[in-house]
Amino acid sequence: MFIYIVKRFALAALVLIVAVTAMFLMIRAVPGDPVSIMLGPRATPELKASLIAQMALDQPIWKQLLIYYGDLLQGDLGVDVFSGRSVADIVFQQLPYTIEMISLSVLWSATLGIALGAYAAAHPNTIIDRVAAALSVSLVAAPAFVVALLALLIFAVKLQWFPAIGAGEGFWGRLNHLVLPSFAIGLSWVGYIARLVRASMLEVMGENHIRTARAFGISERRIVMSYALRIAILPVVTVIGVGMGFLLSSAVFTEIVFARPGLGKLVIDSITTRNYPIVMGAVLVSTGLFVVSTALADLINAILDPRARSAD
Amino acid sequence: MSDTLLEIDNLSVDYETARGDLKALRDISFDVKKGEIVGIVGESGCGKSTLISSILRLTAPNTRFRQGEVRFKGDDLLTMPERQMRNLRGSDISIIFQDPMQTHNPVLSIGRQMVDIQHRTKVSKSEKRSIAAKMLAAVGIPDPEARLKQYPHEFSGGMRQRIAIAMALMSEPDLLIADEPTTALDATLEVQIIERLQELQREFHCAILFISHHLGVIAELCDRVVVMYAGAVVESGDVREIFHDPKHPYTRRLIECDPGHIKERARVLPTIPGEVPDLANLPDGCIFRDRCEQATDRCAQVPPLEKLKEGHFAACWLNHPEESST
Amino acid sequence: MAKSHSELSIILRGVAKDPLGLLGLIIVGMIVFSAIFAAWIVPYDPIGMNIPDRMQAPSLSHWLGTDSLGRDTLSRVIMGGQVALKVALPAVFGAMAIGLTLGMIAGYGPKWLDNFLMLFFDTVRSFPTVMFALAVVALIGPSLQTIVFVVMATSIPTYGRVARTQTLTLRNSEFILAERAMGASMTRILGVHMLPNIIGVLAVLAAMDIPTVIALEAGLSFLGLGVKPPTPSWGALLKDGYALIRQTPWLVVGGGLPIILATLGFTFLGESLRDVVDPKLRKNR
Repeated sequence: MFIYIVKRFALAALVLIVAVTAMFLMIRAVPGDPVSIMLGPRATPELKASLIAQMALDQPIWKQLLIYYGDLLQGDLGVDVFSGRSVADIVFQQLPYTIEMISLSVLWSATLGIALGAYAAAHPNTIIDRVAAALSVSLVAAPAFVVALLALLIFAVKLQWFPAIGAGEGFWGRLNHLVLPSFAIGLSWVGYIARLVRASMLEVMGENHIRTARAFGISERRIVMSYALRIAILPVVTVIGVGMGFLLSSAVFTEIVFARPGLGKLVIDSITTRNYPIVMGAVLVSTGLFVVSTALADLINAILDPRARSAD
Repeated sequence: MSDTLLEIDNLSVDYETARGDLKALRDISFDVKKGEIVGIVGESGCGKSTLISSILRLTAPNTRFRQGEVRFKGDDLLTMPERQMRNLRGSDISIIFQDPMQTHNPVLSIGRQMVDIQHRTKVSKSEKRSIAAKMLAAVGIPDPEARLKQYPHEFSGGMRQRIAIAMALMSEPDLLIADEPTTALDATLEVQIIERLQELQREFHCAILFISHHLGVIAELCDRVVVMYAGAVVESGDVREIFHDPKHPYTRRLIECDPGHIKERARVLPTIPGEVPDLANLPDGCIFRDRCEQATDRCAQVPPLEKLKEGHFAACWLNHPEESST
Repeated sequence: MAKSHSELSIILRGVAKDPLGLLGLIIVGMIVFSAIFAAWIVPYDPIGMNIPDRMQAPSLSHWLGTDSLGRDTLSRVIMGGQVALKVALPAVFGAMAIGLTLGMIAGYGPKWLDNFLMLFFDTVRSFPTVMFALAVVALIGPSLQTIVFVVMATSIPTYGRVARTQTLTLRNSEFILAERAMGASMTRILGVHMLPNIIGVLAVLAAMDIPTVIALEAGLSFLGLGVKPPTPSWGALLKDGYALIRQTPWLVVGGGLPIILATLGFTFLGESLRDVVDPKLRKNR
């Protein structure tokens, strides 16, 4: 089991390194003088010089890369050009807002999706099942940011049930501000998860060990919840882990629509101002998040499914 | 009368399909007494699966019980309320399935599963675990307490089947149904499992309904045997009697073709020519007619299952002398 | 040629039999039609400003109202469809072509090449698409071509993986082995024999991918990093609507509904296609 974890993280680290290096090189490959682009018309010679020294822009590329990685390993993501604050500070300050939004979205959509999927599997081919199937397909189709905009329009602007802007204060305040955004992000997942669970459940319920459980008089309720669902959920874990990239993309837009602080807004703002260190930092962290979530999903999978632990 | 545990009485079961009704069981009758070991012999499609699922009442949605009763300790299982039926499953009636590799839930530990099936007993969880451990020891699994924490994929096929036996016998059932328990195992394992089963049967005194197509095992283990073909009982009775003096052509052919029985070396193993009939389109008359070398005109009528002597029933016109025609 | 014609008609008929597939086919047909003939259908000039008529709510003369510059929303919606397809189709087909080639090479070629390409695919996939798109747009600057490029690049791994899997499966199938025994060259095997079998699956993937691409383009335009104004794009409509959400909410509807409709249509079509193509593939084997 331990070797398994190590292997997964090693692979994740490799992907991360390749991604970061590519990003780094891409930025450096931009035509034109990066310094002037970043500092714009405000660039005084002193500012330029300090920036060049700070970002080691006068060194050959490979050396720059090495320096960057060196800093990275020490937890230093560079310094913000304009404010002087550490990029790591800025990014990690915004991160929790994004994480809470994504977590809530996954939580509600997975719970509802699993419940619907299990129900549909228990009552297959009824009208409800077929309607749910069509609905699932349609819901998956609507892109999150369009849903977000429409939700904003209907529920925040017109009906005024929920706030339109910001992240809120305090537990209930923040929760209130999270309702519409997590609704928008989670909506397309509910249908997807429900279909996945339905198919998975139908497959599991037909397997021999379920027959054994019935033959020993175990109640149908217990069979569905503890024996079948436990296996049927496994694909959902993987799907969510792998879907983190997609979730992050949805998060970016949703944060803009609802004017929420977070990683997405940070990236957009810093791109507009050509604030490369922050762009790098934010993209790095979000890629890292994605890599971590895939590895985490694998881990959860191994915990839930003992068979996965022995697999090399 | 109270000696009889299970009575199958004129049971007929169909499956409704798009092609028509599949007549899986037709007028099946036999019984099992307390502590008795009854074997069921027959090739694929003879109706054994339908029989088992009917006894346990775990049938497919398109199953139709056309006639007959399945009486267990006097009560008809086919009309019993589901709640009562569920009470019997895994406590009075237990089952061992054919494929040990698929029979256990892969994500729950063996201990958890063995504790779950004790859901009717009102003892503490640790008590249930120790009962489970004792049972594992009884079937020959070493270091049972530790192994309770393990998962099915950590056991070999033979051990999984032992675990299945342990699970089935844990509640000390009155009737154990063994559905080809050794078919998926190799010969050496088979011997071990059968021996273990015999020991346990002597200890627990349960009746066993043992389904197999391995005649040697049937002869070794069973007191009586029921021979089934394409949904009908063609012969039944005392096991020594049947094997020594079979009264139905199908039984005779089965014995002849059994690899264990063949005395001389031969290039080509004998088989029964022809195919099992289509259960949706049954021919008239005796079910074995199309594959029987000794078929006559009389066979155009279904022969009744007649008692030929004490403990020996057969359904074949050859056992009935020709009536002299006037 | 006759063969591929009848193949196509069989597929279309299969799709049409499925109610959702038929719906998808109709929707997609409408979108494609209006995209092609946009210039002739639009009731007003989608780009021309018309200040006196600005910010009008939906009415008989302007079915979807007007925006802050007096432009008719409906016209912009129709033209937006053309823009959406102008981005989506080249991007998807480009990604499909490249992904297909790379995937086939990965599946058919030596192991080291396979490993390398797979690592490449996984890395590209591991970027959250939008972040990647934003980063590239930030570097190169927004334009139609940039978007097409970005969208294409992020889609390649999807096609690549599927093509690779299919190639690996087919590689050891009997008819391929027979061809190799007869001395067919790699290009011939890949091009003439594997390709038709893989294309079916990829076509389904493409149909399902188009909505994603449309959404991506719309998203980028919404952020102001997409097609340059005054080119109408559904995303741009959303942007304008969002900026003045209390005054011109109809713009949000006008931008949002076509996107949802398009995604629905292509998704229904894609799902139906998959049901038709998949069992056929199995039968052909």
